[in-house]
Amino acid sequence: MTNVLWVRASYWSRLLVYILLSLAAVFTIVPFLWAMINSVKTVADTFQPGAMVPYLNFSPTLQSWHEVLSDPQVVRAFVSSVVVSSGTTVFVLILGVPAAYSLARFSFPIPSNDIALWFLSQRVLPPAVVLVPFYLLLVRLRLIDTWTGLIFCYSTFNLAFAVVIMRDIFRDVSTEVEDAAKVEGATAWQIFWLVALPLSVDGLVVTSVLVFAFTWNEALFASALTSQDAMTFSALVLASRSTRGVDFNIASVNTLIGIIPPVILYFFVQRYLARGLTFGAVKG
Amino acid sequence: MADVRIRRLEYGDRFKYVLLLPAVVWVVAFTFLPLFSVVRYSLSAYVLGRGITGFVGLANYVQVLQSDRFWHSIMVTAIYVVVSVPVEVVLGFLAAWLVNLSPPGARAFRTIIGAPLFTMEVAIGYLGVTLFSSQGGLIATVLAHLGIDIPWLSSPEGGLAAAILLDVWRWTSFVFLIVLAGLGSISSELYDAAILDASNHWQVMWRLAIPLAWPVTTIAILLRTIEGLKVFAIPFALTTGGPGTSTEVFSSTDYLTTIQFFDFGKGSAMGVTFLIMVSAIIALFFRQMRRNMP
Repeated sequence: MTNVLWVRASYWSRLLVYILLSLAAVFTIVPFLWAMINSVKTVADTFQPGAMVPYLNFSPTLQSWHEVLSDPQVVRAFVSSVVVSSGTTVFVLILGVPAAYSLARFSFPIPSNDIALWFLSQRVLPPAVVLVPFYLLLVRLRLIDTWTGLIFCYSTFNLAFAVVIMRDIFRDVSTEVEDAAKVEGATAWQIFWLVALPLSVDGLVVTSVLVFAFTWNEALFASALTSQDAMTFSALVLASRSTRGVDFNIASVNTLIGIIPPVILYFFVQRYLARGLTFGAVKG
Repeated sequence: MADVRIRRLEYGDRFKYVLLLPAVVWVVAFTFLPLFSVVRYSLSAYVLGRGITGFVGLANYVQVLQSDRFWHSIMVTAIYVVVSVPVEVVLGFLAAWLVNLSPPGARAFRTIIGAPLFTMEVAIGYLGVTLFSSQGGLIATVLAHLGIDIPWLSSPEGGLAAAILLDVWRWTSFVFLIVLAGLGSISSELYDAAILDASNHWQVMWRLAIPLAWPVTTIAILLRTIEGLKVFAIPFALTTGGPGTSTEVFSSTDYLTTIQFFDFGKGSAMGVTFLIMVSAIIALFFRQMRRNMP
């Protein structure tokens, strides 16, 4: 649907809009391009920032990619990130979605909005504040530097988010079908599992993607709670920043590996994205 | 509506608690209990390997409040938030306004401009070194050709400015996506009406779009501020707090106190102090959320 302002805009205004949008797009894309170019340079070539065009200004090589990807520590960190992010997503959905449904459909002695805000109060807490108790708890449970320990922490941080956003999405789904199912004699559990969930697939997808991306990108707890075995990719990036300094080519490869997975997931979600980001305060 | 609720209540009374309670118990156990124990640790002497060795009252707090490093990190965090959030809000709003005009190709622009939000922050901070380094960094080199020499990573101001620029790159997309959704919910009849008595497009934006998208924008501003106060990854990966400790934000200082020096008492006291400082902003956020809830 084209905006009426666009329809009535003059030729010059339209041109201006395109120029500004292109500037925004270029501003966004340049760091990606820069990383891609540096990732196929040799260390020596990275000291010539003016050499931008492969084959013309410098001869591209996959040497840096090969070096990074053949490092077992990198592979292990990548696997850790995949396992921890997926594990967190699954666990958060199992725990959070039923609670969200319950808050959306049933009434409680305390108003549903208040319970949702109570969940949300967890989310606004600066994570650094609770670093000490989580660290000591994991030490006591012998879960330092394990996937389980990280999944445990991240599930805690993301649970509130999942409950609040899914509650909002369930509320938007019409209850007519659920009522019809009830008349047909379906049990409460069947209605939840076979009717409500399939109708909320879009919401489940966006919640999963956001939880996955938040977890994937988290670095503070990942660095504090892992040292080797369970080190995630974000923790590895932070560690390599301080231990091996910055070779532009290696830094670029690392950056691209870290960035690509959640960005690809983002391409598949559009609906409900703003709603997810604002805990349901914005519809759309 | 009301009687639907009541009918549900009859058969779902136990069911609803079975669904809800696990999540509630989890949050109580692993959010509110840790918060209590932070307070407890903050009042204790903690020795690594031996645990809590004694109650020290407010001694940790006195130490924190007398620590220049702590106050400096608070100031850096405040500057970081006060500069980056307004820039992100203005740029994000403008970009959303342009995309919302829905020119042909708007979807592609939307996808591109929204993408930075999903990038890994430590990786962006790390990449930032290759952008701002005086030895072949892209931005440093381009600016040097224009005769502008800024000691990005070797000075406190430069390091902070570079971190803020990366933050703007990463987080403008957040405001953009939220405001875009807010603008999209303004009905086209309102534009039709507004266009009749406005002499140009800027007036439509000022008189119609900004007022109508304001509640949504407020949420974006508050969320950005709260997230900004938590900031850690971008500045830490970019400068590791340096030169010295001059670009350390609060989270970096607390992280280093806790993990590098294992000073759990002081680290906890730092956290509690910070939480008290930012609680006003958190309260504002909840007030706005409550207003937006149907």
